[in-house]
Amino acid sequence: MQAQDKDKLRVFLKSCLEENGNHEPLNDDDSLFMSARLDSLDLTNLVIFLEQTFGVNFAKVMFEVEMIDSINEIESFLDQQ
Amino acid sequence: MMSASDSAIASIRERPDQPRRALRDWFAFDQNTWLTNYVQSCVGRIVLLLLFTLFCSQTFGFVLSLGFTTAAAVCAYCPRFRTISLFSATLTILMISPSSRVALHAILSIAQREHISQALGIRAVYLAIAGFFIGSFIVITVARHCKTWVLARRPVMTLLATVSLLCGVAASSILHGLAQVALWAFIIVMVSYLWFLAYALVDQRTREPSPALFQLGTFHPFWGSTTVPFGKGAAYLRKTLSKTRQDLAVTQIKGLKLLTWALMLQYLESGLSWLFNTAWILPNLNDLQTLYVQGQAYSIASAWGALIWTTADSALHLAVGGHQVIAIARLAGFRLPRNTWRPLEARTIAEYWNRYYFYFKELLVDFFFFPTFLRVFRKHPRLRTFFATFMAAGVGNAVFHFFKDIQIVAEVGLWNALISFESYLFYCFMLALGISISQVRMNRGIKPSSSRYAIVWSFLCVWGFVLCLHIFGDESRNHSLYERLSFMASLFGFN
Repeated sequence: MQAQDKDKLRVFLKSCLEENGNHEPLNDDDSLFMSARLDSLDLTNLVIFLEQTFGVNFAKVMFEVEMIDSINEIESFLDQQ
Repeated sequence: MMSASDSAIASIRERPDQPRRALRDWFAFDQNTWLTNYVQSCVGRIVLLLLFTLFCSQTFGFVLSLGFTTAAAVCAYCPRFRTISLFSATLTILMISPSSRVALHAILSIAQREHISQALGIRAVYLAIAGFFIGSFIVITVARHCKTWVLARRPVMTLLATVSLLCGVAASSILHGLAQVALWAFIIVMVSYLWFLAYALVDQRTREPSPALFQLGTFHPFWGSTTVPFGKGAAYLRKTLSKTRQDLAVTQIKGLKLLTWALMLQYLESGLSWLFNTAWILPNLNDLQTLYVQGQAYSIASAWGALIWTTADSALHLAVGGHQVIAIARLAGFRLPRNTWRPLEARTIAEYWNRYYFYFKELLVDFFFFPTFLRVFRKHPRLRTFFATFMAAGVGNAVFHFFKDIQIVAEVGLWNALISFESYLFYCFMLALGISISQVRMNRGIKPSSSRYAIVWSFLCVWGFVLCLHIFGDESRNHSLYERLSFMASLFGFN
């Protein structure tokens, strides 16, 4: 995953957090969903974002929330696709 | 800079960015440095455990409360023994009181019909429980090593298909006597634990799944649950486990606060119950519908009063039970979000659904919403969201509740069980429609205004919807859909 793509992802996730009223800093290894920092609506928005931005087809993946629970995990997931 | 765990704790069902109101500041004990340090000391831990035992005993009695507190303490303070203590405590409660986990009365009723003694019936239950747990251990272990196995790839569909098949055999009257009782006992036990096993099987697909014994310990864990796993499964519990002593202290103080709040709500429920049921002698909704069907007169005011009180009582009851469960889980060190979180503040139906019964919503999202959302209508975002939400809140909701009460098939046969389910099916359909439309509107960025008038209007709309739906949502199966629709029309003056 390239640096500019990671920045795009970071910007997107920060906007989701701010929509939820969460202005805490976002580190690359911070849990997003399992910690209840973001909810299932945000998860669907993230899925759509990854599909549209990186062309991921989640129907072909045995999807688990853990796979995209942090920026690092998303990067690792995208590198495997 | 706050650590990830601090920020996670802060976000437990709260909105840390909003300016804290004075009242919340007063009760923010978990943010008090002296208190969190004290709770980490030996004496502080003992005081905390004593308070938990005292507060729990108001509901569960002293012995059971002591058991909960002890098990939670071992989980929290002795990580090396966490797995064995979780499993042991969960198993102990199951053995002592199987009726708290399994529909024991239904199995004994089937035993009576098959002319089997109650003692043999109870033995059949324990055998079914043992068989299910051993079977689950094997299945979880196989799924961990064989990820292409159908139970590993499609756990929910496979488990539901298995239950359906077993029900088919049971309902076909091939078996009689003890064999029939044993089969129904196994089916009823399996249904009680179905969604726990589903979460455990899904966990086997992750990078580092929890050991099988830990998974079994989360099956109706000692801190409590309904058929819906409170705390979901081992994967969620791993992520929410307190990582440092400071985290643990804050989590446990939050648990004690929640338990105190649950106690206050319990007293409120008792007081209101006395007021409505004893002082004002308001009939409950089910009785009122029976009166309506029998053609007996009652005032519209008392009908609305009964509907409002029954709905409010259900919400209070759910909140009290859920808070107690989550409080004990937090004592054990798991930073779980509350199950019910200020449902009266919901501004939309979708938000109400998230606030009222969080873990049931999560179950439907995990097993029905996302599998649908990821596969269908990928080029049509609104239809995709609508359909996936409908599958979760409608189809998933209906499937969950039909299987939850599967013993009704044993009592009245499959066809009558389906017919008597029509009202709840209607409830699921209308609820799903409401949530789906609300969800699509939220996705489009349509948000309610924050003016006071808009807040009141949102409350009236959301809870008006909830009230009307509650007529169809009770699981008693005492009245047909037509009777309930007629009753609802009578509330608006149409007879």
